[in-house]
Amino acid sequence: MTSDEKFFAWLDGELVGAEADELERQVAADPALQQRAAAHRALQARLSQVFDPIVAAPLPEGMQEALQQPKGEIVDFGAVKRSRDAGRNWGPPQWAAIAATLVVGIVAGAMVSQGTGAPVAVQGGKLYAAAALDDALNTQLASAPDADVRIGLTFRDRRGAICRSFTEPAASGLACRAGNRWQVRGLFAPPEGQAGPYRMAAGAGPNLAVLIDSTRAGEPFNADQERSALAAGWR
Amino acid sequence: MAHSEPFEDQLAALLPRLRRFAHALSRNSADADDLTQATIERALRSREQWQHGTRLDSWLYRIMRNLWIDTVRARSRREKIEAPAELADRIGEDPREAIDAAIDLQRIMDSMEQLPGEQREVVALILIEGFGYRETAEILDLPIGTVSSRLVRGRTALLAMVGEQ
Repeated sequence: MTSDEKFFAWLDGELVGAEADELERQVAADPALQQRAAAHRALQARLSQVFDPIVAAPLPEGMQEALQQPKGEIVDFGAVKRSRDAGRNWGPPQWAAIAATLVVGIVAGAMVSQGTGAPVAVQGGKLYAAAALDDALNTQLASAPDADVRIGLTFRDRRGAICRSFTEPAASGLACRAGNRWQVRGLFAPPEGQAGPYRMAAGAGPNLAVLIDSTRAGEPFNADQERSALAAGWR
Repeated sequence: MAHSEPFEDQLAALLPRLRRFAHALSRNSADADDLTQATIERALRSREQWQHGTRLDSWLYRIMRNLWIDTVRARSRREKIEAPAELADRIGEDPREAIDAAIDLQRIMDSMEQLPGEQREVVALILIEGFGYRETAEILDLPIGTVSSRLVRGRTALLAMVGEQ
């Protein structure tokens, strides 16, 4: 590995143990390397900002149709494309408008409020966890039994921020650390029949699963890692 | 993921991510959606070739990447030089914010387009799709050292382009 390759492998979380520690020390001692790391983290953030809304956007019509074809039948994509071009043009503006910056399913308005007590607060056009949800994200482990808010998975996103999925009576969602707060990245209505005395289970819902999948870098934390992250203030 | 789910359902769940990968490879959104369509078609037709117990996402990414290479080859035979469409022609009319987002996406896609294909696919899989080096090496059927060196060149060139915007 060249020193460049090693540096980026470190930045991407591909190095482990002594090698990672060594790089950590090198970077800590070298402002130029720190600057380089920051520039590349910013590049990655920019790529996420631009490409990730695609994952949350609704699919163009032709794609759903293609999947609904009887088994083995071959779709005439030329025809699908022609009909698509003739009708709605699903270029970037449409899906970008729909996806905006946040994935929000159908959630009762009571979830989000500028008042006190609501689990999600709006500030500067962004959604943050508040009240009991904020408390749970800060202090609760996935193993906590019978709490109002249940924590699902904890993991790091590609920028290195810790994210946690949660389920509470009105919605399930994903929040990631932004400064000292939890920014809500997605909120989804609970799957049908799971409202009320809901189960967490794997039934977090397909939308949340896709969001988690597209957000996380690496494996979810195990119980020990989750506890250490709590102790370290979710840095 | 439960492998007992029907193939179509598993494929459907992965489509949004595949569509993002298509945008990272393609020169515009229309091409990206055509590529996604073609990948669905190929996956449905070749479903018998996917081995249960192996990762469906890796298999689909590989299909998409190979189709993309075929498309690029066919296109370069067909059109030696093509004047890029004006940005405004490519985005149509829409509210201000959506246009900004679309322009932002198109700018980055234009920069990605400047990278050699072998660097673009590595940058897309690791920096946009979030795959690890080893997973990427498996998808592309390359030695991990090759992935790592292409990634260095690709992201360095991309930063130089994007950093100026």
